[in-house]
This record gives sequence, structure tokens and C-alpha cells, in this order.
Amino acid sequence: MSNHWLLNMGFAAALLFIGIFCLLTMKNLIKLLIGIEIMAKGITLALITSGVERHNVMVTQSLVITFIVIEVSLLATALALIINIYRHTKSLSISKLTNLKG
Amino acid sequence: MNIFLLCGLVCFSALAITMHNLLKSAICLGVASIFLAVLFFRMGAPYAGVFEVSIVAGLITVLFITTIVLTKREGGVKERKLTNIFFLLFFIIFIMIDFFVMKGFIGNLPNMPVGSPNLAENNNFSKVLWQYRTLDLVGQICAIFAGVFSVLALFRADKKENNNE
Repeated sequence: MSNHWLLNMGFAAALLFIGIFCLLTMKNLIKLLIGIEIMAKGITLALITSGVERHNVMVTQSLVITFIVIEVSLLATALALIINIYRHTKSLSISKLTNLKG
Repeated sequence: MNIFLLCGLVCFSALAITMHNLLKSAICLGVASIFLAVLFFRMGAPYAGVFEVSIVAGLITVLFITTIVLTKREGGVKERKLTNIFFLLFFIIFIMIDFFVMKGFIGNLPNMPVGSPNLAENNNFSKVLWQYRTLDLVGQICAIFAGVFSVLALFRADKKENNNE
């Protein structure tokens, strides 16, 4: 296993940490989506690095492309949901979304 | 060179969550995507790099900015003041742990075996995508349709409301 792989994996872990921290602490819905995006960046970095290490980068590229397409689909839906939530609550705060709270 | 790109990627990602202005956060996210795309090009993954630049840095940033503009007037949410300080503190602790864990792994991990020989020997990307990952393409088409229909459903105008207006 090369040092290059370990270095990239270390940075991918840092990106995952940033995303998880954002998801755990932020209240703004758009910020939460930004956190998910940052986590996705860490995962794509880890995938491509593993592909390069296994001399199999073509397969990981196709996986990453699939991942990006699904990410865009998810993001478009999530942003449409956020706009609808904003129209109903006039706020982007997750603390206002208490209708289903028991 | 790669280490500078990785540092830039992590720094701009951290800036994206610490900035109070959402527009600046979205732009920082786009810049981080560009750093990642350049890294992909340098690692020999040009197709992933092109997708990263065009879709993640381009389309997703535009989607974020559109949403921010549509919700800006009253959507301001005040985050806790201590969040950024906690982030810096925990991030430094995490980087130190990460560094020591990765340092411990140097020389201790076995080499990864080469993946499926058929795929490893085949250097033609289109052949890999169309012949070996066909199911992925079907999944992509389904995901795109699901996204389009869900957005259409969410933005569907309510006829009763329109008639009342």
C-alpha cells in the first residue's frame, strides 16, 4: 500500500468529518445539504484513490460518475423540498419543522 | 502538488460550513469541487474530473445559488456562536488523530490485489461503462427520472389555489 493512498484516505476522512460535524451542529437546511455534499466529495476521493491503487481506475470512474448523477438527482429533489418548506414555514430552520413531533 | 490541492480542498470545504453568508458558502463549495476535479485529472481519472467540474462545480453550485436567492429574504437562521470555535477545536483534534493513525499504517498494510483482471487490462473507458457497468446506466436513468418527476411534483401548481387568486 503506497503512502499516496494513505495520504488521500486521510484527507477523505477529514472531509467526512467536516460533513458529519455540519450535519450534527447546523440548523440551516441549506447548510445541511452543503454538509452532505462535502461528505460526497470525501467518498469520491476515496473511491478514485482506491481505483488508482488497484490499477483499476476505469471501473471506479464509472462508479463515481453514477454516484455524481444520483447525487444531483437527490440534491434537486432536496432543494425543491427546501423551497416548499420555506413557502410553508417562512424559515430555513430545522427547529421549525416540528409538525410530526410526538 | 497533490498535497496543496488536498489542503485547498479541505480548507474550502471547512470555509463552506463556517461562513455565515450562504452565498459565499455555496461558492466555497464550488471552488472545493474544482480542486477535487484537478486532483482527479492528476490521478489519471479524466472522466471523473470532467463530471466533477461540469456537474458538481457547475450545476450543483447554480442550484444552490438559485435556492438561496429564492429563500433569502426571511430564511436567515442564526447558528450558535460557539459552533465555529467547537469546529476548529474538534477539527484540530481530528487531524492529529488522523495523522497518527495514518502514520501508524505506513509500511504495515499489505498491497492491494489488482481487481478483476478483465477490467484492469481493459483501458477503454467506454467499453468498461457500456459493457461491464450496464446496470449502473439503467440505475442512472431511473435516478434522473425519479429526480425530474419529484421536482415536477413538488413544484406543481395547485389548481384550487390558482382559481381562488
